Amino acid sequence: MTTPGGGKGLRTLAALTELARASARPPTPVELDGGLDALRARGDVGKALRRASRRSLFRLSLVGALAAASAVAVVSVVRSGRQPWRAAPPALTYSIEGGSVVDGGYLRESGGGGIKLSFVEGTEFILTPGTRSRLRAVDASGARIAIEHGTASFQVTPAPAGDRRWQVDVGPFLVTVKGTVFTVSWDAATEKFELKLRHGRVTVTGPVTGGEIALRAGQRLLVDLPQGETVISEPKPEEALDVSAGPAAPAAEPPPERPSVARAGKPAAASAGERRWGVALAAGQLDRILAEAERAGLKATLERAPGDDLLALADAARYRRRMDLARDALLAARRRFPDSPRSLDAAFRLGRVEEASDRGLAPAIEWYDEYLTRAPTGTYASEALGRKMTLMSKLGGASRARPIAEEYLRRFPAGTYAGPARAFVRGAP
Amino acid sequence: MSTRRTHLPVSLVVAPDRGDSSDGELGRALRAGSPWATAETWQRFAPGVIMFAKRALGSESEAQDIAQEVFLRVFAKARTLRDPERLRSFVFSFAIRVLKTELRARKARAWLSFHRPETLVDLGGELTDMESRQALRRFYALLDRLAPRHRLVFALRHLESMTLEEVAAHLEISLSTVKRLQERATSKLSRWIEADPGLAGFLDDKGFVR
Repeated sequence: MTTPGGGKGLRTLAALTELARASARPPTPVELDGGLDALRARGDVGKALRRASRRSLFRLSLVGALAAASAVAVVSVVRSGRQPWRAAPPALTYSIEGGSVVDGGYLRESGGGGIKLSFVEGTEFILTPGTRSRLRAVDASGARIAIEHGTASFQVTPAPAGDRRWQVDVGPFLVTVKGTVFTVSWDAATEKFELKLRHGRVTVTGPVTGGEIALRAGQRLLVDLPQGETVISEPKPEEALDVSAGPAAPAAEPPPERPSVARAGKPAAASAGERRWGVALAAGQLDRILAEAERAGLKATLERAPGDDLLALADAARYRRRMDLARDALLAARRRFPDSPRSLDAAFRLGRVEEASDRGLAPAIEWYDEYLTRAPTGTYASEALGRKMTLMSKLGGASRARPIAEEYLRRFPAGTYAGPARAFVRGAP
Repeated sequence: MSTRRTHLPVSLVVAPDRGDSSDGELGRALRAGSPWATAETWQRFAPGVIMFAKRALGSESEAQDIAQEVFLRVFAKARTLRDPERLRSFVFSFAIRVLKTELRARKARAWLSFHRPETLVDLGGELTDMESRQALRRFYALLDRLAPRHRLVFALRHLESMTLEEVAAHLEISLSTVKRLQERATSKLSRWIEADPGLAGFLDDKGFVR
């Protein structure tokens, strides 16, 4: 064992070392192929590699011509990869019907009939027309897809050894799957999430779920983010077993079924908070908020104040340039109310606080990343991405800002930062 | 439920797989200049090199650059590979050399520059909480303060879980020197961590330290 030893500092060092070790992700087959391509483009090695590639290509083309003659004419994309270390599991290949993968992994629909991804081992993802989604990763161990808006059905084939991992990011929720059939919806406008589980089991994590929620076959999970409401219901058996039914539309209102498992309302403290400092903040009484917090004791306030009070205190402190207090209030809000949607707001605001403080730009970018990861379609998504683009240009120049600008224009073509984004794409700044 | 597919719309046809070749066979082919050997060497060893560089530097993009440099050198010097069975060590020795050069260059840049470059940790992983990411950023900022030799020894010993003997062999220094460098690196890091209440606080909050 290579743990750095005992004592508080050493134990912390050991924990950090472990965290660093565990956090590094192995390169995906696609990244490895990209690295190989980059090598090919360089000098003598490139020539040798290109020669090898041409020979393989020639051999492939002979066999491929025969295979192509019998292949069904579908619009498809095939990707393959192999785990280069030791006994690699079989590579996962897939085909796409009704669309294609474009830059950033976004799935672009080519007709009006939705998109279907079929994986070689039997798993299928079906995206209903108009669904906005992104294929985040496909490798030998499984796949991860993000649904930014719309509805998708999944039929996941259980792996014999359970060694495949399928994950679905649905808005700010993460669904982890092992052999199951389910439909999931996310309405970015109303911020409502719905999951209907027909077979198997899934776990869902995200804001307002109060930690990880495990669902069993036949259950339906509805989360209404603006209302802070989580409902797990058991539909009628015939509905639950109706596998042929198409994917559900995004939930516009609570389901007719009787809630049977859980109902978590918006914390009462939050509305109490709105009656307190939220009103004072709206009236511009910044000094009053700060004075009251100091009178009550800052430490006690951070530990006991309702979530909305903490956000109001953070705003008041930020406007008065008391960045340390603003940061502490936002961190306290995230620590004490981790499952609240306000925790996401706090992440965005922490980005603004870090920008205004003297700690440099990297922490701000990280907070914006945190917000964009957790709430890709959230209220501040456009602002967070725009700010990140601006900061990256300051940190690393226009070349580092350009990919973010392209993403910004793709996602928010009419957004506040569209002008600067176009300038970055043109290479003007 | 019906989950097995009876029909696949696409057939994937691949070339003969050289992945079954041993390191020795691959090393001999690489030394002889066989075209397939370069691609296979990359596929087989690049993940390890990239992971090593990622963990040592805390940056995915820099790790990719390091890997490119390492393999360019490996291919350029392939004819000097004396024992093909030791191809893995051959590749890793280049990785260590390139990393050492990069760490020295970083240190030099930090001395020459008026402001210290910001640490933007990106390990390419799925760290889901911001607090852990912040803790890692601070951790790598502390590693940046170490001398290159200390940092390299720390990385090999603790991030790559090598034994002291392995570290000594890879760095071609004595065991006692490795011990001394490791103790100094660990002692400095733990002292800096103790002086950083925010970092210790983060870990307390996350329940890492009890």
